[in-house]
Order: sequence, then C-alpha cells, then structure tokens
Amino acid sequence: MATQAQQRNADPRVRRANVRTAVILATIALVFFVGIIFAKYVGDASTGMTVLGAAVLLFLVLAIGRNLISGRRR
Amino acid sequence: MSTIPHDHAGDDHAHDDHAHHPSGIMRWITTTNHKDIGTLYLLFSLTMFFVGGVMALTIRTELFHPGLQIVHPEFFNSLTTLHGLIMIFGAIMPAAVGFANWQIPMMIGAPDMAFARMNNWSFWLLPPAAIMLVGSFFVPGGAFAGGWTLYPPLSVQAPIGMDLTIFAVHIMGASSIMGSINIITTILNLRAPGMTMMKMPLFVWGWLITAYLLIAVMPVLAGSVTMLLTDRHFGTSFFNAAGGGDPVLFQHVFWFFGHPEVYIMILPAFGIVSEIIPTFSRKPLFGFASMVYAMSSIAILSFIVWAHHMFTVGMPAAGLLFFMYATMLIAVPTGVKVFNWLATMWRGSMSFETPMLFAVGFLFLFTMGGFTGLVLAITPVDIQLQDTYYVVAHFHYVLVAGSLFAFFGGAYYWLPKWTGTMYDERLGKWHFWCAMITFNVTFFPMHFLGLAGMPRRIPDYATQFTDWNMVATVGAFGFGLSQLIFVYALIKCIRGDGAKAPAKPWEGADTLEWTLPSPAPYHTFETPPVVK
Repeated sequence: MATQAQQRNADPRVRRANVRTAVILATIALVFFVGIIFAKYVGDASTGMTVLGAAVLLFLVLAIGRNLISGRRR
Repeated sequence: MSTIPHDHAGDDHAHDDHAHHPSGIMRWITTTNHKDIGTLYLLFSLTMFFVGGVMALTIRTELFHPGLQIVHPEFFNSLTTLHGLIMIFGAIMPAAVGFANWQIPMMIGAPDMAFARMNNWSFWLLPPAAIMLVGSFFVPGGAFAGGWTLYPPLSVQAPIGMDLTIFAVHIMGASSIMGSINIITTILNLRAPGMTMMKMPLFVWGWLITAYLLIAVMPVLAGSVTMLLTDRHFGTSFFNAAGGGDPVLFQHVFWFFGHPEVYIMILPAFGIVSEIIPTFSRKPLFGFASMVYAMSSIAILSFIVWAHHMFTVGMPAAGLLFFMYATMLIAVPTGVKVFNWLATMWRGSMSFETPMLFAVGFLFLFTMGGFTGLVLAITPVDIQLQDTYYVVAHFHYVLVAGSLFAFFGGAYYWLPKWTGTMYDERLGKWHFWCAMITFNVTFFPMHFLGLAGMPRRIPDYATQFTDWNMVATVGAFGFGLSQLIFVYALIKCIRGDGAKAPAKPWEGADTLEWTLPSPAPYHTFETPPVVK
C-alpha cells in the first residue's frame, strides 16, 4: 500500500514538474560535457566561448521564462 | 527563515516506522528513503575519511625526518595524489550530500527526495568508484602519482592506474550530477505550502547554489578526463604536446572545474554554520537576504578566478591582473558572511555546546584560511609561493577547518534528531578541543615551511625544514587520533547509550525538522506542513 508520501510524489502534476526540471538540468550538464570536448576538438577558442555563452543564455532563458510563466499563472 | 505553525512532534508515526521496507542488508541496498540514503552517504564518507587519513599519516610519517624512511618516492607521490582525490570526492562531497539527504526534505517539509530511485542509484555508484580508486594501488605500475589535479603530460603517460582513476572520477561525477538534479528538483518543486524561497533555511539555500555549481562544472571535469582518456588510448592529441596538443589547456579546463569545486565543498558548510550560530546565540540570523546574495555572488565569482591556480604557467599581464583582482573580489561576499555570523552572535545569549564550538572554530580557522588565500591571490607573491607548503597550509585551513569542522558541528547538531539520543557532551568537547589544537599544530607550521621555500609533494627535504616537519607530524597523529573520539561518541549515540533526545533539544532552533519527534520517523511530512 502506498504511503501518503508516495502519493504526494505520485501527483501527476508534481511528477511532470519534477521530470521537466530534471530534463532541463540534465540538458545543461550534457551541453557542458559535449561542448567542452567539441570546443577542444575544433581547437578554436571562439568555439569554446560560443558553447559556454550558449549554455549560459539557454539556462537564463529557461530559468527566467519558467519564472515568468509561473508568475503569470499565479 | 521559516516559522513553525504546527508541532508534529506529538504525531503518532509509529505505524509507518518499520512498514513498507525490507530489513537487513536488503534494506540498505534497495532503500529509496532519504534518511537511509543520507546515513549511507555519511557512513561512506566517514570510512573514506579514515582511508584518506591513513594515507595522510603515512605521508607525515615519511616527512617526520629528512631522507627516505618508510616508502618509495613513487609510492609517496601516489599517496599524496590519492589522499587528495579520496578526501575531496570520497569524504567531503559525500558527507555534504549525506547532510543534504537527511536534512533538505525535513527542512522544506517534503516527504522525500523528488527522484527516490535515482537517489539510491546516486549513492550506490560511489562504492565501486572508491574501490577503483583505492584498487589502483594494486595494478601494475601502481596508483597515479602526478597529483590530484591529473595534469598532463604525466597523466597521459602514466600506467593503467590512471585509467582506473579516470573511470572513478567519471562515476563519481555522474553520481554528483544525479544527486544535484535530485536536490534542485526537490527544493524547487516539493517545498511545503507557504515556504517561499526566502523562507528556506540557509542550509537549503547553500545546497541549492552548490547543486547548480555541480551541474555546471562536473561535466567540464568529466569532459576533460574523457579527453585525457582518448589521448591515452585513441590517438587524439588534446593535451599531448607530441601530437600538437597543449598540456596547459588541460590546466585551464581542470581549474574551470577545480575552483568552483572549492565552493562546492564550502557552501554546504556555510549553510550548516548558518543554522548552528543563530540557534546557540538564540537570535535570528543577522542579514538573511544578504547571506543568500553573498553565497550566490561567491558561486558566480568562482567561475572567473580559475587561473589564480596557475599564475606560473605564463599568461599576459592583463590576464594576471584580471585573475588577481577577481580573486580578491571574492573576499567581499565572504566578508559579508563572516560579518553576519559575528553580528548574529553579538549580544546573543550564547552557549557553547559542541556544535557551537565547532561553528566558532570554523569561523576562526576558515577566516585565517581566507586571509592566506588573499595573500596567495597577489600574483607576485603567488609566483614565489606556488607549490610550496604555504599553499598546503592554506587549503587545509579552508577545507579541513572549513568544511570538516562545519560537518562535525552539523553532525553533533542533528545527531539527536537522527538517532533519538543526545550525544555525550563531554566527549564532544574533548573531540573539539583535541581536534582544534592538533589541527593547528599540524598545519600552522606549514606556513613557515612554505615561506622558507619547502616544496610540496616531495618525500625528502633539506635539513633546515626538519623541526617544523616533526611538529607537523606529531600534530597530524594527534589530529587523526582525536577523530576516534568522534567515532566513539557516534557509536554511543547510534546504540542509544545516552539521554533520550526531545523533539527540540536546542531551544533556539526554529526550522521544520525540530517539529518532528526524535528520532525522526521513517516517513515524515506525509501531510505537508503549512509555513506562515
């Protein structure tokens, strides 16, 4: 029998939000991992800066966007 | 800071204390409960702390006297390398994650971590990684001996022990990233109703920022050691000068991870100290918002200071100046934190139980480590002191007296909640004073050795360094032995040998975990508390 704690975690809305957050974070980690190797493979310093900048921008857009959307819902 | 609207201490949780989970060894292997996993992390880190500690004592024994006494130089260098890797990845980081697992759900009113199965997986990746790391001593050629920073060309040319080290770092990195995703998701999505971000305890804030740092820098470390691996076995030349690669490039990439890593180890400690000091000063924390902003500033600045670890490799003057000033800038938010902790204690009704002793010890010694960090930030000074014992003294003041002392303080602070038994205050105080005195006997003389020019990572040295080395070795054995007091106090607590802990043993404590009975029930906050 599931406990109330498990039921609370099993709420589909909470689960969806959890998975969405985890996917965003895992994507950022993947971008950094692949990005650093790709940048060094290409060997051009600007590639590294582009990857880093893109990752940071992507993160900011997602973070601010999520915040704005949740603010509008409230 | 959160306020407590409803006391859960009297709730009857007995019905679910032992239900719904297997017993014996399978409980620990298959557990998805955040408290069990927190316990596993903490016990693992304590074990690795002693493994790394034995290596440190072997290093100090060799250095007791000039000349080669008990180990070969290659083995000595393997010991310094593995001591660093084990203490960072095996002891300090897992201890911080152990605290996070135990405390974060209870402090934010969540029933568990967001991804309970992934939490189990994150922990159980660690023992195989530790076995690989320690097992590298027993493969042909022995463990890697080029330092924990894994610099090429040595790491490209090293025997098979290096491959085991690379895989171990990969696995520990994966574990850290999974743990961080779990922690961030839990904090963002599972907070109790009414617990806004600015009502979260500072320990939770510290971990939220730490987890973001981990997500950003762990993949960079993983990427750099992957490139080392391909250089070693697949004919690439990222860092191999013979094939047109650049070994210095590795240093840049490594320290892009390495410096934030310092804050990954210290921010959870800041969080713990920020819980302990207000409790034992019986006052709210001074400047809560500024503490949050200071931690965030430290985390952001940590990304732009990496090259202060490599001033001697050759950089343009503008680069040297930028990294020098950026490093000094970190002293500003750090100063804000130290000021706020002192202001919290100012005119408080202070008492000095063991957690507070460790917190004050942390404050004093970490500030000293910070000051020597400022000395090392000055480029011309750093060029003189690079790779000397001054640097060894500096980072041990930051990481041992910083992270470790805060973790000991945190362990004593929350042991009553975890075990339901009050720790032995007399033993706790003995532990603190022995550790405090012997720590300084060990590491303070290293400042003198470094200023006199003694290089690090050498098994033999010139005779003029003998006296302070002898003092440091005596201190190191004292420091090692003083940790046995902690183990004894811990065992007593776990066995229930002591006074029964009330739900809230510290009158100044006001975070949510203290609304629960002691020991905390197996499942907590099944009904979310409402925070006002």
